[in-house]
Amino acid sequence: MFEREPNIDIVFRNGLKNLEVLPPADVWDNIPPMPVRHSRLRTISGIAAAVAALFSLALLAAWYTRSANPAGQLSEMTIASGDQQAVRVDRSSAVPVNTTVERPPARPVTQTEVALPAGEQLSILQPDEPVNLIALADQGMKTEKEDARLQIYPDDVVTVISSGRLTGSEEKLATTISAQVNETMGQRFMVGASLSPAMGLSPSGQDMKLSDLMNGERSKPTYTTGLTFGYKISDRLTIHSGIGLASMGQTITGVDVFAGLSDFYSVKSNYLYSVETASGVILAGNTDLYLADNNDRVSSLVQGNMADPSKYPLKQVGDDIQQVFRYLELPLMLRYKVIDRKVGLNLSGGLAYGFLVDNSAYTGEGSDMVRVGHTEGMNSHNLSSQLGLGMEYNITSNISFNLEPVFKYYVTPLSNISGPLYKPYSLGFWSGFFFRF
Amino acid sequence: MQKEKDIIDGCLSGSRRDQELLYRRYAPKLYAVCLQYSGNTEEARDILQEGFIKIFENLSHFSHEGSFEGWMRRIIVNTALERYRNRYYLNRVDDIDEVTEPMAEPDTDDFAGLEAYDLLNMIMELPPKYRMVFNLYAIEGYSHREIGDMLGVSEGTSKSNLSRAREILQKKVMMLTGVTRRLVNV
Repeated sequence: MFEREPNIDIVFRNGLKNLEVLPPADVWDNIPPMPVRHSRLRTISGIAAAVAALFSLALLAAWYTRSANPAGQLSEMTIASGDQQAVRVDRSSAVPVNTTVERPPARPVTQTEVALPAGEQLSILQPDEPVNLIALADQGMKTEKEDARLQIYPDDVVTVISSGRLTGSEEKLATTISAQVNETMGQRFMVGASLSPAMGLSPSGQDMKLSDLMNGERSKPTYTTGLTFGYKISDRLTIHSGIGLASMGQTITGVDVFAGLSDFYSVKSNYLYSVETASGVILAGNTDLYLADNNDRVSSLVQGNMADPSKYPLKQVGDDIQQVFRYLELPLMLRYKVIDRKVGLNLSGGLAYGFLVDNSAYTGEGSDMVRVGHTEGMNSHNLSSQLGLGMEYNITSNISFNLEPVFKYYVTPLSNISGPLYKPYSLGFWSGFFFRF
Repeated sequence: MQKEKDIIDGCLSGSRRDQELLYRRYAPKLYAVCLQYSGNTEEARDILQEGFIKIFENLSHFSHEGSFEGWMRRIIVNTALERYRNRYYLNRVDDIDEVTEPMAEPDTDDFAGLEAYDLLNMIMELPPKYRMVFNLYAIEGYSHREIGDMLGVSEGTSKSNLSRAREILQKKVMMLTGVTRRLVNV
């Protein structure tokens, strides 16, 4: 029960509530201009943007260097049709080499194989040897089908086995290979934008209290958006990194929220109400709100002898509270091509380091949304692991689309209040467009 | 009228115009709080000035979660408390744990004719130690333990000062309104 407050207190409190007195005119003149400061979120975003920009510039610089100075890489690889054939294989040389093979008039095919030894920069097919392109063989190189993708990298050694004169279809194949080699041999880098919607799930384990709390909570849709950079380590293995913004949260049901308390109750602390949740305690920093529930989640700092908010004519603004957490994520992933075709199959896995950049609690919807406060006890950093198996569709030789079911698990707990059990996981789709260069 | 958040953002970006706008909008209400705690216009003016400097210095820490006016008011009250502690704490005359009996009081309806300025003047006329305790307890809602910590006095002294402040104010109110009827406190 609340004690009755002396009338004299109420008279003065209500009487002085809206009193305004014009201050002396010169007070403002003696207040110096305020220093300009940036918020923490703005600073973190600025640093993240700068890191992303620097990384992009580094990638561009590396790509430009490769394009402008082919020495030290695969200097040239040309398989020409007609009477000329050039074979250039070893990429470790710093000296560009052109090889021209003068073809003799057609002779009977003798199936002579000419292989280029590893480390040798140049092999010239002898003019008196019959040449006829019958195969290209190398680590992972495919020429069985004309539409097969040809991927040759700086350390690859290409062996050309030829005999006799090129036939028409072989000329076409040679031309295709030549074009593909020129196109693909520099595509080690990739950049793309990704979106990963997911549904969060949380294990309660054997913790009864946590389980009770979670019964009154619903996971909100989780998503991650980001910019991804990739580097091909080999023709099948790619390392990915980048920067992303992950958003997750939950809805706490059964908490009635009323606005207008500050008209009746003078604020003296940073918060008046707290709400216990599975992921920490929400401190209602918005002291204009009165919170109530029937599940003992809500605790109050309002003193019984000072006020009874339930008796004030307050306006209800919500019947639940939505917790939102946003993390700036820096992932490091490995992606392996299980099937390397136009429509390929990838296996991916890795870790992501997350920084908490937004921790908010709201009630209401849309334009009626009211900020309640924040969740206390959230860890400002976390580590998550991710595993996925998905499709890669190569729209062109430079652009691909990925759609990958992904399982994500938080290795470290999100909250340091609810104990180590609270490590949510999510199932979702990682999707995005990527540009290779 | 410009929105409060826009003004705050303007202030944070260094706009002197927005800073003045913020000052003009809230200074009258906060100056009334300064008068309530200070007892004279000179000191109230110093509290307002010092308080606004602190408000601007700490504006980037305002989280937009609660009432902005409430946040500013807390800064002003803390500034007034700081000045009070510096000025009166070392020179306090009495700090006796004496709790007086609660006296009978009139009904709130009897005070209906009172103007806010009358109430302000009554508070300003209170001795500083009574004024501080009455403001902190009756207006701001602090407990006696908290007030004791803030002012460096015991809980009992806080109760005693509050009781004395109520008594003085009640007499002043009755004199002003002409109410002589006394009711038993519940």
